[in-house]
Amino acid sequence: MKFSANGYYIESYQKCPNCGVLMYANSEEDRKKRVEHEDKTYCSQRCVDWSIAREKRRASAAG
Amino acid sequence: MDFVTMNILDSAMVSICREMGITLMKTSYSTIFNEALDFTCGLADMNGDMIAVADFCPAQIGGMPLLVQSCLKEIPISDIHEGDIILHNDPYRGGLHTPEHTFFKPIFVEGEIMGFAVAIGHIAEVGGMAPGGFCGEATEIFQEGVRIPPVKIVKRGEDNVEVWKLLLANVRTPRVNYGDLKALIAAVDLGEKQMQGIFAKYGKAKVKETVADLLLYSEKRMRAELEMIPDGIYSFDDYVESDGVESDKNHLIHVDVHKNGGSIVMDYHGTSPQAIGPINATLGVATSAAYNAVLHMTDPTIPRNSGCFRPIEVMAEPGSLLNVDFPAPSVGGNTETHPRIVGTILGAMSKALPDRVMAAEGGTHCNFVFGGVDADTKEYFACYDLEAVGWGGRSFADGNSAVDSINGNCRITPVEVYETRFPWLIESLALDTDSGGAGKHRGGLGYSKQMLCVNDVITCSQMTDRHLLAPWGLEGGKEGGCGATLVMKDGEDTWKTMREAYGKASTSRFNNVAIRRGDRVLLRMPGGGGYGDPAERDPDAVLSDLKDGYISKEAAKKYYGYKEA
Ligand SMILES: [Zn+2]
Repeated sequence: MKFSANGYYIESYQKCPNCGVLMYANSEEDRKKRVEHEDKTYCSQRCVDWSIAREKRRASAAG
Repeated sequence: MDFVTMNILDSAMVSICREMGITLMKTSYSTIFNEALDFTCGLADMNGDMIAVADFCPAQIGGMPLLVQSCLKEIPISDIHEGDIILHNDPYRGGLHTPEHTFFKPIFVEGEIMGFAVAIGHIAEVGGMAPGGFCGEATEIFQEGVRIPPVKIVKRGEDNVEVWKLLLANVRTPRVNYGDLKALIAAVDLGEKQMQGIFAKYGKAKVKETVADLLLYSEKRMRAELEMIPDGIYSFDDYVESDGVESDKNHLIHVDVHKNGGSIVMDYHGTSPQAIGPINATLGVATSAAYNAVLHMTDPTIPRNSGCFRPIEVMAEPGSLLNVDFPAPSVGGNTETHPRIVGTILGAMSKALPDRVMAAEGGTHCNFVFGGVDADTKEYFACYDLEAVGWGGRSFADGNSAVDSINGNCRITPVEVYETRFPWLIESLALDTDSGGAGKHRGGLGYSKQMLCVNDVITCSQMTDRHLLAPWGLEGGKEGGCGATLVMKDGEDTWKTMREAYGKASTSRFNNVAIRRGDRVLLRMPGGGGYGDPAERDPDAVLSDLKDGYISKEAAKKYYGYKEA
């Protein structure tokens, strides 16, 4: 168990910025898949790629 | 694949789930279970994947895999023993909202866990700031009742009394809660026992192999269905009106549906940030709503299990309306925001699948909750009352009238039961003329329920929607009628909204209004949007609607070109 940054409870509630899944601190299997990108931790490379593609798509739609 | 055994096992497991649900219905204390059937029962494998489910509440069906898997992240399989039952309701750990209590029990066969029996039910009273669980003005989770991380409520077959004491000390109706919680336990006990019978008959290896085949079969059939939909990115917007705190602010739900071959991704990025009030959806809700929408658009004969869900992915930005961050409130997310998400996905897919979607349904469960001390029995009562709405018109048929919103599949509590259990007199309950949106295929009708308070005081709260933003039509169909909640105080002769009568920020979301003896409350449920140009409606259908009182002469003239003979 560990306390979150705001001290409320025993979890840090770290979520993937793309898909939003909760990333548990104690899961070795999940940890192996994680990727750092622009100072954020994503659950997987797929979420990094999706996030970049979304930004590109929206930028081109905006002209 | 051994299709014969697979079909037999699938049917047997679904029957077990139904039997679990019937047990829960028959042994529970609350009307939300024994009348409304706001629960679901299923079976999961060791990974938390759903392998069978009964046809109860879709919100909970789609939420089940993430719920069980989240618990297993915190309680490893090695710490789960025969006879244990795990309880969980935490919205931030795969949960749906605080009232939704998940129970699951390991199925041990010859000392080995082979899977879990799961029951999820909406507990009517959970403590917190308002009786009945829906605090329409909550601004943090702590006002929404007891929050339960995964804990063992039963350990090796014995009640974990310390947990029971904590739970029951924090709710207003401990006797009723005890009965409902025990009913949920009875359901998982039965599921465990019946599945042990299945393992005894077929053997562990055969069941394991066949269940894996079954999930693969559902996945393949779902992918085949998705492959028939044209590839593309389909987008749509809808809004949740007000959050009970910031008046007149609408909250955007945006979806980009990426359909590519046999896969589909619901990308919700672009949705509003999470609200201050309790309309936020958890990731479990956002995921369940995506599954629900896809199941509504695809072949209903595909066996319902986690295999169906494998081709579906969800992208829900943390801190948004569709992936609430701690400690923001979320009680309305599972009931009001879920159907709005489904409607948004159906709206997006109307361009690709016009014959498999409908115009907007009423999209609310009304969620009129109340509690108080009964003047006769002196016992505290609390009720979570859900009501039905009109559904949207379709390309081939009118919308259904007075059916529970798309994520509920629940029943309306009969008036006689309602009056027997709670101190209200129901003065009228009738379909509302003209509440179904006009269209070639008319939207289903909503209805109104007028109630007289016959107790000294009843503390009432509500979490509903569609008072201001009407259910939309499709392909030229018109909007359905809005809902309303009105009060007429004893001795007065005018109906007022909760904003007019009690100064609440919202007419549709509020809590702890004291309704006194002689006061009346009128709940009006929205209708569904129409589908197609009303001018194309079959004239015989217009006449039939007139005869039944579904539409007025004025509406018939205005929308359908009706002329009096
Ligand atoms: Zn991710």
